[in-house]
Amino acid sequence: MKASAERPPSRHHQLTAHRESVMSRHTTLPGPHLTALYLLHAGSMDVRLISLSVERHWKHAVRLVPTLDEARVVLVDCDRPGVEAAFEQLGPYPSAGIVCYAFHPKDHALRFPNRLILGKPLNLDALPGILAKAANDTAAIKAAVTARRQVPAPTPTPPMAAVETPSSLGHGLHMDEERDLCGAMDDIPLTPGTPLSEKLFFAPDQYLIGHLSRAVEQAVASGRPHVISGLPHLIGVQPQPLPVCVTAFRGNQLRPFSMTQLPHATARIVSALIFSESVGTETVYAAEDFLWNIAAWAARGRLPVGTDPYQRVRLKAWPNFTQAFLSPHALRIAALWTRTWASPVEIATQLAIPHRYVFSVFSSAHFSGLLDRNAPTVAPIAVIPVAAQPSPSPKQEQRPSILSRILRKLLNAV
Amino acid sequence: MRSERARHNKIIFSGTVGAGKSTAIAALSDIPPVCTEAVASDETAALKKTTTVAMDYGLLNLPDGEKVMLYGTPGQERFSFMWEILSEGGIGLVLLINNANVDPLKDLENYLAAFKKFIASTAVTIGVTHMDRAPEPGIDAYRKKLAELGHDPLPAVFRADARNREDVATLVKALLYTLNPGLVDA
Repeated sequence: MKASAERPPSRHHQLTAHRESVMSRHTTLPGPHLTALYLLHAGSMDVRLISLSVERHWKHAVRLVPTLDEARVVLVDCDRPGVEAAFEQLGPYPSAGIVCYAFHPKDHALRFPNRLILGKPLNLDALPGILAKAANDTAAIKAAVTARRQVPAPTPTPPMAAVETPSSLGHGLHMDEERDLCGAMDDIPLTPGTPLSEKLFFAPDQYLIGHLSRAVEQAVASGRPHVISGLPHLIGVQPQPLPVCVTAFRGNQLRPFSMTQLPHATARIVSALIFSESVGTETVYAAEDFLWNIAAWAARGRLPVGTDPYQRVRLKAWPNFTQAFLSPHALRIAALWTRTWASPVEIATQLAIPHRYVFSVFSSAHFSGLLDRNAPTVAPIAVIPVAAQPSPSPKQEQRPSILSRILRKLLNAV
Repeated sequence: MRSERARHNKIIFSGTVGAGKSTAIAALSDIPPVCTEAVASDETAALKKTTTVAMDYGLLNLPDGEKVMLYGTPGQERFSFMWEILSEGGIGLVLLINNANVDPLKDLENYLAAFKKFIASTAVTIGVTHMDRAPEPGIDAYRKKLAELGHDPLPAVFRADARNREDVATLVKALLYTLNPGLVDA
């Protein structure tokens, strides 16, 4: 993949330079209220993402420090090889709080008992609070231990395992993946009129999906390949013969990257002169599937800003669900929404599910071009809500339908 | 659509020669599938060494002891007289189309026509196989073809690897939700 823009510096150089610039920027901003954070054993991608988050959102709460000496709390990636050796580095720093993170926290909880282990992807809304709490609690423990040495009477000290953390943080030991993927937003009113919370909406331009959506639009409109540069890996968009996206990002990198807000100047869309597929480790995705997934990860149960959640729309077609991200209830939502004009709120009501699951599908469908907004003026044929279907007899209630039983079998087996 | 009570517990897998019907049933079945494959002796031989000459049969054992039969129809059109017999009373149709064939959209049209009555009373989902070596036509071309053929709403069309149990299960789940979006999955 070659872009017409000037070739950027190597990725390693970019990452190193960026990390150094971020470090130096934040180490010059000391403050008693800032949590001094050291990233221990974190990969370059994580360093970049967390640095961007600090720079953009947490500059008044967290500062990255370049050495363990300055750290009040340490964030450790448990998934990378050699994490045991990394923990050994912490021996001389008992006053530093330790927060770990991993894809499967329960597995690591056995290896590292009494450690606070968050689930990946990290919930960036909750992380600064968790880091501050870990730092403060460790300081409190240290103070209590010091006091116990001075005063004969024993003072109970809270163990690290008892650290109370918000339930919505993607926290490993209580991890609920659905919350990470679809958020925890409460339902909105069933009828319009009440002002809606700003938290219901996200600004696509602040996420990868905004850049990707524009790149696909420009590529299709011009008939020429386009490239998103400025990220750790390029993302190429080939408009013909079938729109595809090509990138060396791995799936487990794309998800956290899609969830993170990017500074405006981070990504640039450029027209590419030459485009070649399957170079090295690059993967080719159908553009529709790629847009669906990136949008779902950015949305996390929210709607693109400007969306009217009470407007009736319809899915033009089922997404390609063997490749597209399957959020909870997505198959049910697609089955219903391809056959009826309904607002997101109406779909959620008919299926008796939380609104955020429908909002997730809506956001993905919006960006992947599967949403039909041209509702006919004639009233659509009403679909019988699930709740309005004939009540089964007591005998039937005890024995689910054959379709339900097959479904349960498949859900349990796959 | 026929009531669930009137249906037999069987799901039909049909589609073109080499689309992966036998493989899909093997991926999903709880028993080693019973295959009536034979050495291909006609034009099919150019596509694969063996082919299904009667039907494939697999089984899903449900927790309550009930069984769901998975029937695969023979791919060659000269056996099409069997399709109606096999599908009679079935829950729905999983149609697999080999995207590497000369004209897969025409294949789609032919099979939808052959199963028209069955689909009208049940539902269909479509798995497009071999897209790794034959990416065109894409999924959207299938949707457009289905719209041309008057399918509204459009049935689910997924890219599928017949060897992948999850892909096959996703096709079947989509079939079940098409029949009843109200099915509870949690």
